[in-house]
Amino acid sequence: MDIIKLEHVTKQYDDGFIALNDISLTIESGKFYSLLGPSGSGKTTILRIMAGFSEPTEGKVYFAGQDITALDASKRQINTVFQNYALFPHMNVYENVAFGLEIKKQKKSKIQAAVKDALHMVQLDDFANREISELSGGQQQRVAIARALVNQPKVLLLDESLSALDKHLRKDMQFELRAIQKKLGITFIFVTHDQEEALAMSDEIFVLDKGKIQQSGSPVDIYDEPVNDFVARFIGDSNIVLGRMVRDFEVEFVNRRFECADAGIPAGEKVEIVLRPEDLDLVRPEDGKLDVIVQSQLFLGDHYEIKAKDMDDNEWLIHSTNATQVGKEVGVFFDSEDIHVMRFGESEADFDKRLETYEGDETGEKR
Amino acid sequence: MKKKHFVWSRLYMAIVLFMMYLPIFYLIFYSFSSGKNMSRFRHFTWAHYVTLFHDDRLLAIFIETIMLALLSSLVATLIGTFGAIAIDQAKSKKFKGILLALNNILMVSPDVIIGASFLIFFTALGISLGFGSVLLSHIAFSIPVVVLMVLPRLKEMDRSLIDAAQDLGANQFDVFSKILLPVITPGILSGFFMAFTYSLDDFAVTFFVTGNGFSTLSVEIYSRARQGIDLEINALSALMFVFVLALVFVYYLIEKRRRFKKAPKRG
Repeated sequence: MDIIKLEHVTKQYDDGFIALNDISLTIESGKFYSLLGPSGSGKTTILRIMAGFSEPTEGKVYFAGQDITALDASKRQINTVFQNYALFPHMNVYENVAFGLEIKKQKKSKIQAAVKDALHMVQLDDFANREISELSGGQQQRVAIARALVNQPKVLLLDESLSALDKHLRKDMQFELRAIQKKLGITFIFVTHDQEEALAMSDEIFVLDKGKIQQSGSPVDIYDEPVNDFVARFIGDSNIVLGRMVRDFEVEFVNRRFECADAGIPAGEKVEIVLRPEDLDLVRPEDGKLDVIVQSQLFLGDHYEIKAKDMDDNEWLIHSTNATQVGKEVGVFFDSEDIHVMRFGESEADFDKRLETYEGDETGEKR
Repeated sequence: MKKKHFVWSRLYMAIVLFMMYLPIFYLIFYSFSSGKNMSRFRHFTWAHYVTLFHDDRLLAIFIETIMLALLSSLVATLIGTFGAIAIDQAKSKKFKGILLALNNILMVSPDVIIGASFLIFFTALGISLGFGSVLLSHIAFSIPVVVLMVLPRLKEMDRSLIDAAQDLGANQFDVFSKILLPVITPGILSGFFMAFTYSLDDFAVTFFVTGNGFSTLSVEIYSRARQGIDLEINALSALMFVFVLALVFVYYLIEKRRRFKKAPKRG
């Protein structure tokens, strides 16, 4: 069921800056979504429009079929966990969590029970009487989540909520948020600039840049088949080289022809080729599809990050579990499915249409 | 080397503070001296305090001065707080700047000018000079102080607190009474105390706008001092000093309690 729908939403600020440019998107009930993009991409603006803190210049916002474009934030069944948590400093943990219910004039016994449940859910059972200033960042984060969830919203919005936590705590919170979302079955919309976080947590990701949705889809779709070089560069590391389509399922780059998995592009068209560093394997020079010379090698704990150059001076980033030597000539091997071809200026809709033309019978694996 | 430097700075501080408090303690010291003037300390006596407590006129003025300070600072705090909120919420930066400048001009203009202009204003309007005119002018010159004390609190306040309250279902009034007001309360309190002391020690403005029937302590002391200092004034000054000391102490206690409540306990 669709719970939130944005139709042709545009947001222009007083100074003329266009934060959102004709955004249409549909949020289904019970899923975990991420709005992913660099700062200034418009992701927080979308969140503020959904929450009701900001009104779109043009376009409509629907909630469960009702037009809520002009509805006050206080009357929406949507709650928000703010980036800096926005906990009320003059209230203790209990008062913070109870705030929403007290505003709604619920019975005291009911509030007490609901707050207790909410604090239990975020594992802060014994913290009810603490002052906010006594809590660590991670604990404040949990209070903010409890304060939002106690109102039983249909949708929970999270604005860069984990960015202030250290790496270890962030990982824990990712698991926990995902578990809470599964347990309650409500929709979570998570705003982040951290692609790893988005990939790890989401059912579906919207990748945003310059006020436009660049691509939407499951984490696997977006990672494996970025629609343009912004998405390819923003999500994970990539090697992007120029190439030319020879015919369906054959592409030419670095002056060689390779078998590939893409089709539906006119022969001879200039394209971009994406190869993920972890898809590249180091082999003996005679077994490789490319010959490169290793330029540098960094040990990153779980893998080596290797930079190498081919004969045409293209730089290649390779992730390998095995070490090599700087200055050594090695071969690079990849499968034909690892080659992802991107057309210049192709929109997501065009991309999907093209996929359908030649992938009719293998829909299980791709869309 | 470093230690020596430390000692010098302390000595400097001690001398400055000593010089600043010397005249006050000199005054208080002679309030316990028998005799008519401050040329020589004779022997210890409470006599000046006894005459002070039998001086009904002075005691009445003392009470009235306190009442005036309380009333004017209360009203000024109320108006000043709303004024600060209005300035803070002004949409255009230019307008905000103009409002702040108007506020600050009132702060820095000399009391004599303010007093004179109030006098002209009240006589032009035909308002009789007395308690009413003094109260109005005290309120007027206290408002800018309150605005200046409250405004930083509003600026410091995290805007997302208001968003968060609305997000949780709060209407405009809830946001004001449950979030905005409690968060800026420390600023309002210090604004109130500042306004109170401003009213208490004002001489120039009061001197201009007061009439026959009403006088404040500073005006009364001034007019008595012109006929030669009486040691009864010294006794009064000593009492006032103790009173202000108590006031500062109360303010300190309030601040300390608030800090204590907010201070993070380790862990």
